[in-house]
Amino acid sequence: MNETKDIAIEVVGLSKSYGPVRALRSVDIAIGRNEYFVLLGPSGGGKTTLLRMIGGFTKPTAGRILLHGVDVAHLPPDKRPTCMVFQSYALFPHMTVAGNVGYGLKLKGMSKAEIQVRLDAVLEMVGLNGYQARMPWELSGGQQQRVQLARALVLEPEILLLDEPLAALDEQLRKDMCIWLKHLQERVGITFIHVTHNQEEAMSVADRIALIADGELVECGDARQVYRTPARRFTASFMGESNLLDGTVAEVSGDGTVTVDVGIARVAVPSADATAGIQAAVSVRSEAMRLIPRDQAQGADEQALDAIYQEEIYLGLMTRQIMALPNGQTISVRSVSDDDEAPAFQAGDAVRVVWKTAAGRLHLS
Amino acid sequence: MAGSDWRDRYGTEGGGPRPASLGVMARVFSEDGLGKWALYAPTVFVILFFIVPTALTVVWSFFERTMFWMEPGFTLFSYVNFFTSARFENFLFSMLHSSVSVVVSFVVGFPIAVFVRRHVPTVAQHRVILLFILPFMVSEIIRTFMLRPVLGRNGLVNTFLTDLGVISEPITQILFTPTGVIIGEVLSFLPFIVFSGFLAMEAVPKYIFEVCQDLGASRWRTFWDIIVPLAAPGIFAGSVFIFVNGIGVALIPSILGGPGAVNAGLIATQAIIALDIPLAMAVSAIMMVTLFGLLAIGHRLFNLTKILEPQA
Ligand SMILES: Nc1ncnc2c1ncn2[C@@H]1O[C@H](COP(=O)(O)OP(=O)(O)OP(=O)(O)O)[C@@H](O)[C@H]1O
Ligand SMILES: [Mg+2]
Repeated sequence: MNETKDIAIEVVGLSKSYGPVRALRSVDIAIGRNEYFVLLGPSGGGKTTLLRMIGGFTKPTAGRILLHGVDVAHLPPDKRPTCMVFQSYALFPHMTVAGNVGYGLKLKGMSKAEIQVRLDAVLEMVGLNGYQARMPWELSGGQQQRVQLARALVLEPEILLLDEPLAALDEQLRKDMCIWLKHLQERVGITFIHVTHNQEEAMSVADRIALIADGELVECGDARQVYRTPARRFTASFMGESNLLDGTVAEVSGDGTVTVDVGIARVAVPSADATAGIQAAVSVRSEAMRLIPRDQAQGADEQALDAIYQEEIYLGLMTRQIMALPNGQTISVRSVSDDDEAPAFQAGDAVRVVWKTAAGRLHLS
Repeated sequence: MAGSDWRDRYGTEGGGPRPASLGVMARVFSEDGLGKWALYAPTVFVILFFIVPTALTVVWSFFERTMFWMEPGFTLFSYVNFFTSARFENFLFSMLHSSVSVVVSFVVGFPIAVFVRRHVPTVAQHRVILLFILPFMVSEIIRTFMLRPVLGRNGLVNTFLTDLGVISEPITQILFTPTGVIIGEVLSFLPFIVFSGFLAMEAVPKYIFEVCQDLGASRWRTFWDIIVPLAAPGIFAGSVFIFVNGIGVALIPSILGGPGAVNAGLIATQAIIALDIPLAMAVSAIMMVTLFGLLAIGHRLFNLTKILEPQA
């Protein structure tokens, strides 16, 4: 990643405005060769806009796009080393599977025999052998998306762009396709850029994730790292389920922890650098918290907040317990459901929410 | 409990006449009352305004001609008259001219429809298409007649070209020739092809353009490989419409045409003026057979019912 030759896509100061709407504001991203990269973010954040600019379907307002070190600003989609898989089942409705997949090769002037060879190979790869003569309407949604993938892959692009390729599929199929896509990428060994607003989908396929919201790149990093140790407050609120406490930095101690005054209490969080007095937020994942009665003390390496127990929501595998802090903010704690036990607390009980100090994360922005 | 309570109150408090009238309304709109007959309305409509006139046309075309009208009988005289006179030749020529009009209208009008579908924002598309219907606000007679001073010997086109020095002598081969008729027809029917082309393009999903761009299909390839096959049923329907109008509408050749530019509609009109009603009927019957033949071919090729199906 540190050598230019390993960077497949470099986006520098990329912006896009639609009239007064600023869809993308000066985004910088570098995507490595053969990486499975996911653009994740809430709806309307600008993910599609970014992807379409990389593919050449939308012209940037400002900024540069380098594909393998070459500025592609002036190149149309077909002259770029990219291929796009669209969200809708974007097949040619009047062509068979073979016709759809072979069309790009036919345009390149390839002979019928050679097209046939490549067609068989790519359909084998996407698991659609024997479907050559089917029409699009004779295929399921998942199969149609695989035909789209085959149509793109058969052209041997170096970069595959996927705009919410699984959005139209049902939950179970989407999960299966995620695993399948991941394996496919490993097999073909090219760069995948996958747009989604589904966090679970992103986590299950990505090597690295870029979080995009409001036209800005919020955070970019290794998938696990973004989930476990988000740097920004927004990332913490978007990824997984976290409790956020806003406040100011009260004290910076030498042992690598920072004390944050969150209004109702002071909590310690691990942090390397912070200055006293600045605005900060503390986040703790809801599954990293637990509940104890008010009269019980927390461990030496734990932080605690007093709260009033409100209710319990059974989610199947997990159970969510909802508490209210003295300032009215709600805190949610998730734990693996324990079916035998009667609820430990009643609504209105005075409790304490505790978590390991190391599980807290400090966000300065 | 609650159910009977509700029914009781409805029956008593509503008073005597109300439930009765409700009953009548219910009966009228129930499935075996008017509701059932409403289903037959289109059938009645088709019989009354389509099948009966068509059948009468065919029947009358075999009647004997009298001085001012016709009398029942069975004779092929009108058909013999049609096929053995210059009328048949004129009819064939009008089919040729009509075909040319269809092709020209298609070449000029369909790209407009494609453009609107592709580049105009979806919300504005229908408004843009309505602009093309505006000329219909002007009576067709006036629209057609206005072409005379434009295309004539000392008309706008000739004056303009002479002034530019492109030609030294005015072109006289436009007005009162098949060329004039074709120009008139194209101008008259262009909005139809734009409109039907627009509807035909509904069968072409918008993503197609980007997929083609991505795969590296030129505009030309995109057009022939993808757009035309997908829009074919709609294009065909629009073309048949223009073609039939081209051979059937008497107005344009009677204003812009000359002796060599007569169509079936004008032949029929002239027959009526000459009080040869069976001949007019025979010409109409032949036109109808032509139309049905075209539709049958079209249906074979494109399954025209697809046009009426909602697109996914
Ligand atoms: N063609 C356009 N004209 C005007 N505004 C647009 C256009 N395309 C996108 N936008 C705006 O740009 C912003 C970003 O849109 P974009 O489609 O990139 O979001 P996204 O992250 O892909 O969202 P989603 O998850 O809903 O697909 C939105 O506010 C959107 O309204
Ligand atoms: Mg999008």
